[in-house]
Amino acid sequence: MSDGQRSPTDDGQIVVSGLTKQYRNVRAVDDLSFTVAPGRVTGFLGPNGAGKTTTLRMLLNLVTPTAGTATIGGHRYADLTDPLRHVGAVLEASSAHKGRTGINHLKVICAAAGLPKERAAEALALVGLTPAAKRKFKGYSLGMKQRLGIAAAMLGDPRVLILDEPANGLDPEGIRWMRGFLKNLAHEGRTVLVSSHLLSEMQLLADDVVIIAGGKLIRQGPVQEVMGSMTKGARVRVRTPQADQLTAALRGASATVDVDEQGTLLVDGVDAPAVGRAALAAGVELHELSTERPDLEGVFLELTAGKAGIR
Amino acid sequence: MNLVRSELLKIRSTSIWWILALIYLPLWGITLFFNYIQSDALVNGDLGEVPADQADTFDALKDPDALAANLFTNGQFFGLMMVMLLGIIVVTSEFFHQTVTTTFLTVPHRSAVMLAKLVAAAGLGVVFWLVTTAANLLSGAAVLGAIGVDARYTGAVWEAVGLNGLAYLLWAILGVGLGVLIRSQIGATVTGILLYLGGSIGAVILISTLAGRFGDWINNLQLLVPSLASSLMVSGTDDLPGNPPQWAGAAVLIGYALVAGVVGTLLVRKRDIS
Ligand SMILES: Nc1ncnc2c1ncn2[C@@H]1O[C@H](COP(=O)(O)OP(=O)(O)OP(=O)(O)O)[C@@H](O)[C@H]1O
Ligand SMILES: [Mg+2]
Repeated sequence: MSDGQRSPTDDGQIVVSGLTKQYRNVRAVDDLSFTVAPGRVTGFLGPNGAGKTTTLRMLLNLVTPTAGTATIGGHRYADLTDPLRHVGAVLEASSAHKGRTGINHLKVICAAAGLPKERAAEALALVGLTPAAKRKFKGYSLGMKQRLGIAAAMLGDPRVLILDEPANGLDPEGIRWMRGFLKNLAHEGRTVLVSSHLLSEMQLLADDVVIIAGGKLIRQGPVQEVMGSMTKGARVRVRTPQADQLTAALRGASATVDVDEQGTLLVDGVDAPAVGRAALAAGVELHELSTERPDLEGVFLELTAGKAGIR
Repeated sequence: MNLVRSELLKIRSTSIWWILALIYLPLWGITLFFNYIQSDALVNGDLGEVPADQADTFDALKDPDALAANLFTNGQFFGLMMVMLLGIIVVTSEFFHQTVTTTFLTVPHRSAVMLAKLVAAAGLGVVFWLVTTAANLLSGAAVLGAIGVDARYTGAVWEAVGLNGLAYLLWAILGVGLGVLIRSQIGATVTGILLYLGGSIGAVILISTLAGRFGDWINNLQLLVPSLASSLMVSGTDDLPGNPPQWAGAAVLIGYALVAGVVGTLLVRKRDIS
């Protein structure tokens, strides 16, 4: 019906505003606000129990917020006329009937959503599940289940994709596939919001991150910016047979120098070219000189430290 | 309509319908056998000294219309249980297999989903009745022939058959309501069966004990027990002595089905799916 013709307000932006969910004993999400831009992959990060799943479920009208709003392209999910044509969601690995075949699982959804049933086979092909189309869901491996979930999300060719830990259970090849798949979707201008615990993967995948802990927003922004804002800057690793000499020279240049167990020097306060110059001036032989940037994992751990995970 | 189609596909694409049919088939055969014995005894058997106060009842049951109605609604007792279970499973399997998330993502209007489930379950109940009735018309005619009674197809008989269909429809709806109230697949199934079997047998004993003590008006209370209300609803003659009228059974059952459907829908609308 509304295929291809989307209203101008439907830009696919996700806006979460003052979102709160109070369960009996725990405030799972606490006055959370952030936005997710179209055309980018946004990583949604937080320790176990931070409230990621609860937030995504409120965004999708599965859980009723205690307070606040969440909109997709300016609309509440419940107000979308053809939700699957706007938003695709992958929420948990095991969400199909064990005794139903993969293709039938998708056909059931097509029927309810008013999509042509041919979409079922197309979506299966998209995620590489065609060979297992007529096998029952209970015989699927974890990664196959995950792919079926993605196929279901893609049935309506949606503008916005929301995925809760989609990499769960995928093998390295599968994770690589997923990375390419999601990046490509974002490249086509779609909004991709994906929660994950695999921070090294997120560093490769995400353009933006939203980090929450204890139900509250900790930081939101482009990955590079979030990483750049860290107190610890880049570190220089140096291996040399004349460690003492170089240490003395660097300390003279107001750098701080640590030594790790292997005898590698870890230099803070100056950059790699400065270290190289100092070594040359002191006539020190270098075997390795590299810059160690803080990775997303380090940043994440620093940002969420002390903001208790499990509640 | 799309939604109902989807709900029907959900059932067709799993093995539940033929499992229920396989369980039902021998039960249907057994009730047919007992109905044959009973009809034969009523018509040809020597019932010996019938106590004066029950003579009316026997006469009413011996009426050819009543015999035909009974045979053409054969299997009702277990058939209703099967469609109730089907109704239960239509709802609880969504929670059991966690497909409810996908279902409500696809259609956020939960009342519409529930309505589709009610319609699909009711429709399947009717299909169940159609198949059973077709089998009953054949086997019933054979039984009547065997005991030497002319097969009768009077208005009263068709009325009983029609009301039997209504009972199948209503019990499917009752099952859906029960499934929403008790989301656990096993919990709802066990509760449903216990209520259906234990409830009706227990109620019969209780009510007849009470009636013996406090007078016949207590018999009217059997209306409040859904399974008794439905068997009353289809009993072929309007005037089985000492029983409440047929239509009252129908009214009570419709009432239960409405309450189950509405309460179930309201509950689902607000519930957090997590
Ligand atoms: N239905 C519920 N009833 C009560 N508490 C709940 C419910 N769902 C979630 N919670 C609580 O809310 C908090 C947030 O849970 P949530 O599942 O959103 O975290 P998460 O960030 O997705 O964690 P994880 O990384 O482990 O998936 C937890 O403390 C959890 O125990
Ligand atoms: Mg989670």
